Amino acid sequence: MNESRKGLQLSMAMSKKAGLDFQLYAITAESNHPGRSLVDVMEQTLIGGAGIVQLRNKTGTREEVLEQAKALRILTRKYNVPFLINDYADIVLEIDAEGVHLGQEDMPIAEARRLLGQERIIGISTHNLQQAKAAERDGADYIGVGPVFPTNTKPGRPAVTTSYVAEAARHISIPFVAIGGISPSNVNAVLAAGAKRICAVSSIVGSDDPAEVCRSFLRQINSAAFGYKSITVNGQQEQSSARTIDELVVELGQQNKKLVVELNGQIVQRALWAETVLHSGAIVELVHFVGGG
Amino acid sequence: MGLNEWLKGDPLTIAGHKLHSRFLFGTGRFPSPAVLQQALDASGSEVITFAVRRVNLESTMDDSLLQHVEDKPVIYLPNTSGASTAEEAVRIARLARAAGLGSWIKVEISGDPRTLLPDPIETLHATKQLAEEGFIVLPYTSDDPILCRRLEEAGAAAIMPGGSPIGTGLGLLNPYNLGLIAEQSNVPVIIDAGIGSPKDAAEAMELGADGILANTPIAKAQDPVRMAHAFRLAIEAGRLAWLAGRIPKKRYASASSDWAGSLYEPAAAGSARNRGEM
Repeated sequence: MNESRKGLQLSMAMSKKAGLDFQLYAITAESNHPGRSLVDVMEQTLIGGAGIVQLRNKTGTREEVLEQAKALRILTRKYNVPFLINDYADIVLEIDAEGVHLGQEDMPIAEARRLLGQERIIGISTHNLQQAKAAERDGADYIGVGPVFPTNTKPGRPAVTTSYVAEAARHISIPFVAIGGISPSNVNAVLAAGAKRICAVSSIVGSDDPAEVCRSFLRQINSAAFGYKSITVNGQQEQSSARTIDELVVELGQQNKKLVVELNGQIVQRALWAETVLHSGAIVELVHFVGGG
Repeated sequence: MGLNEWLKGDPLTIAGHKLHSRFLFGTGRFPSPAVLQQALDASGSEVITFAVRRVNLESTMDDSLLQHVEDKPVIYLPNTSGASTAEEAVRIARLARAAGLGSWIKVEISGDPRTLLPDPIETLHATKQLAEEGFIVLPYTSDDPILCRRLEEAGAAAIMPGGSPIGTGLGLLNPYNLGLIAEQSNVPVIIDAGIGSPKDAAEAMELGADGILANTPIAKAQDPVRMAHAFRLAIEAGRLAWLAGRIPKKRYASASSDWAGSLYEPAAAGSARNRGEM
């Protein structure tokens, strides 16, 4: 499986600007985790595999945002992950973050570009295809596409549904990130609409185990993007590119054992391994005989 | 007639299979595969038990039990250990059968983690279901004669009441019940679990059991190979004793030789001639 993971990283390295080869985008939301520190929670998202982090603080003073930005700059450097700041282009420069994320009501992209230069990342939230095309024309490096589902992070904003995701997938050539009310239980619909990058706020940082939520997201993103299947083998979650039971047994290096294979509760006779197709979500048991009385 | 002829003429028949050894051999917890193989040879056993477990995905070596016994002409008796319901036991049995090594199954459904005593209700359900699916079912059961009768009616090919809880070595805790079960059953009765030493095995055979299943007392003995042979002898001894018919127990002594002709026979009880009766 390690070979497969390597292949996956290589194929992601073809993105436009350095730092945009992420699949999962984590955004801070301190009010979602009372009692746990911002840095601890965001570190969990990085442990879980988040590929980019944005500091979003709409209520704090500039001083407070600066303090948080400094702490997250140190953390994201440790994990070698790009760090963006919502709105505060000046803080981006002050702490040497990778870029800024803008809302439709924030400063224009052109002004941000002037301030930050060509190398830094500028992203912007969009809520319809018209805004998306404008952002692309104005030189944004990526756009946010959402809110796909209703969300408490931006109360009152109507959900754009997965149809806007599908439009963006068809008409926008810069990277786009689907955002808004996305959780591991509904992300498949977003991926099916054509999203390759997913951003989540409350479902990640509001969880008791942000790292596991991130892993769950990434399993499903990989599964949709690269034909990787998320399967359970002997009770453990595995990513597999095997098409059949036969390929799975070889991929796991178990072909020299006298195995019995059970797929979703049904025994698969050895003669049928090569033609038994493995689907995402499959539950596989590989058993054999051990000493016993 | 010698020992070999006696044993040859007295096979243990389970579901039509004639076995010349009445020792069913458990393969768990041996110090090494080599010791296991030697002990199996010394036991003379023709039926070996084993368990079904998930493979270790971290290792690609074949670490299964079978590679060590493949060349031996034995019957495989997988167990359903790890199951706590009939449904779980049936699943394990089907997995075991899919390995292509026959359709014998030891139903083992633990109802309690501390004693590992078998759950009677689930054991009965699993026995019935598996017998209907064509398995040769040997249920490990508690030593209750009524339950054992119900298991036989449910289609068990042999009944395997425990002497005492698995691995305890406490021997036969209820010889009276075990004797009743042996007496009433129309299928072979194998005493399984709790046997501590060859003495317990011989005792069980003398009670009328048809065979013994043992694992821990051999595998964990200081010399498993010698102990396997000792069990073999004890089981043969117990079987012959059962066939030979033991004496009834009495409260007081009974001399091995007639008193008459004793050197110290009192004169008063002497010959008729002395009494002038000739």
